Amino acid sequence: MTNKKKFRELLAAPDILVLPGVYDAFSAKMAEKAGFSGVIMGGYQVAASMLGEPDVGYVSLTEMTFSLRNICNAVTIPVVSDGDTGYGNAMNVRRMVREYENAGTAAILLEDQVWPKKCGHMEGKKVISREEHVMKIKAAAEAKKDPDLVIIGRTDARAVNGLDDALDRARSYAEVGADMLFVEAPQSLEEMKRIVSVLKPLGKPLLANMVEHGKTPGLTANDLQDIGFDAVVFPVSAIYAMAQTLMKLFAVLKQNGTTASLADTMMSFTEFNQLIGLPAYTAMEETYTVRS
Amino acid sequence: MSQAKKLRKMLAEPGIIRAPGAYDAWSARLIEKAGFPAVYMTGYGLSASLIGRPDIGLLSLTEMAGEGKNIAAAVDIPVIADADNGYGGLLNVVRTVQEYERAGLAAIQLEDQVMPKRCGHMEGKQIIPKEEMAAKIRAACYARKDPDTVLIARTDARAVIDFDEALARAALYAEAGADVLFVEAPQSVEELQTIANTIHKPLLANMVEHGKTPMLTGKELEAIGFKIVIYPVTTLYTVTQAMMDMLKKVKQDDTSKHDTKHMVAFPDFNEMIGLDAIRELERSFMK
Repeated sequence: MTNKKKFRELLAAPDILVLPGVYDAFSAKMAEKAGFSGVIMGGYQVAASMLGEPDVGYVSLTEMTFSLRNICNAVTIPVVSDGDTGYGNAMNVRRMVREYENAGTAAILLEDQVWPKKCGHMEGKKVISREEHVMKIKAAAEAKKDPDLVIIGRTDARAVNGLDDALDRARSYAEVGADMLFVEAPQSLEEMKRIVSVLKPLGKPLLANMVEHGKTPGLTANDLQDIGFDAVVFPVSAIYAMAQTLMKLFAVLKQNGTTASLADTMMSFTEFNQLIGLPAYTAMEETYTVRS
Repeated sequence: MSQAKKLRKMLAEPGIIRAPGAYDAWSARLIEKAGFPAVYMTGYGLSASLIGRPDIGLLSLTEMAGEGKNIAAAVDIPVIADADNGYGGLLNVVRTVQEYERAGLAAIQLEDQVMPKRCGHMEGKQIIPKEEMAAKIRAACYARKDPDTVLIARTDARAVIDFDEALARAALYAEAGADVLFVEAPQSVEELQTIANTIHKPLLANMVEHGKTPMLTGKELEAIGFKIVIYPVTTLYTVTQAMMDMLKKVKQDDTSKHDTKHMVAFPDFNEMIGLDAIRELERSFMK
């Protein structure tokens, strides 16, 4: 079964699908090892990991595709990818969808922000007109090679024009081919419930976004399932945890000139090799060795 | 001497700089071999060569800078590089300038079109407000690590608003720090002359066959007061025609043997691409 089909099945299953955010191939591998059925690659994390820059529209389509391909190759579970604004207009959206699909993604997020974009929970966002994004969603839906590829219509209109406009937009995006809907950054439990009550009747899976210290109240996957969401992403948890861990480690190393006090908090050589899959390679090498 | 410094020197010396368009490393090498002092890296040509698509802003910064690096590495003359609209806002311009400098490109050309852009001689162009473009030029100046890197500001306002607006913009971009000004697609010799009379910085003229600007010789443009002339699509159109003709013939004749006179011979190609020199180098390592 393709990962796109698998992703559609996971969405249709009764349990909410929990997708942690990953920022490179290795973090994706760890999420898979931890037992998650899917991951999401976000532009915010890739900008930080690949360029060391904030999510202000620096990362190019080529760079995102490169990172996405590495992630898709590293895991067997479906990878959801962040197509940002599609890096331009409807024509750019078409190219983005083709490139991402070739890289092996199961689903693509496409948002209605102005390019260059900002992270969904930052201030000063701007959105393009509903009509313009409708055309982008249409272009994305028509660019699919495999009809199972999931196009996620995301709207950032809540912060700019209010929830009513965001809901109207989501409905329009569903009409022209969005397979899944994502209203970014609702600001209360009531708003989240309203998203579900208004959009659920459209019959498209709904995505929730849990950004720690973001604008949306932090809920558990179970809470979100009860409200009626079909999937939830925790996009930045991994990169924030990584950032904290490394800052702590570097501070100690700088101060003490040794990492001895932190040795217990680190993975061992053997464990790391296990995790990264060295034993499988060693075994494979054995099979291909020429014996005289 | 760095290629940027070389270009600065050429700009300071008398005479117009003629720069045909390269769409890949090989076309750049042929331009150098033919004796031109500089290469113009064209987004229009790269879009055709890299992805086989029209010049409507589909190429990413990474693709442009990547190919720019190949082109700059293949030649020993300055490369004047098309950076479109800088691939986004002010911050993208900063990154574009830095990536292009790292790629070894001597001059960076930024234009005032909206994102995604389109070829300067196509219909339906749109431009950003002139203050926004002036800010982009300032961002580009700030981003430049090598003060010799030449910044070329292009305005597409002639087609979108009018000639006066284009002149006003060129003056504003010059003030914002652009080293060379490029008013895209003037429609007559008078307009070319007015540009030269009005803007007192080095000027670039764009000769696009069947474009909106009258086709003048390098000498004529120099006499008017231009400092650089680019022929961005000349190589691409020539190669396209030659290839189409050849392919048609091969399809028709079911062999390529009748047409070898239109082709470079195997040993000649090897010589041109530098096989002998590289073999000689290899031999020099083996005692």
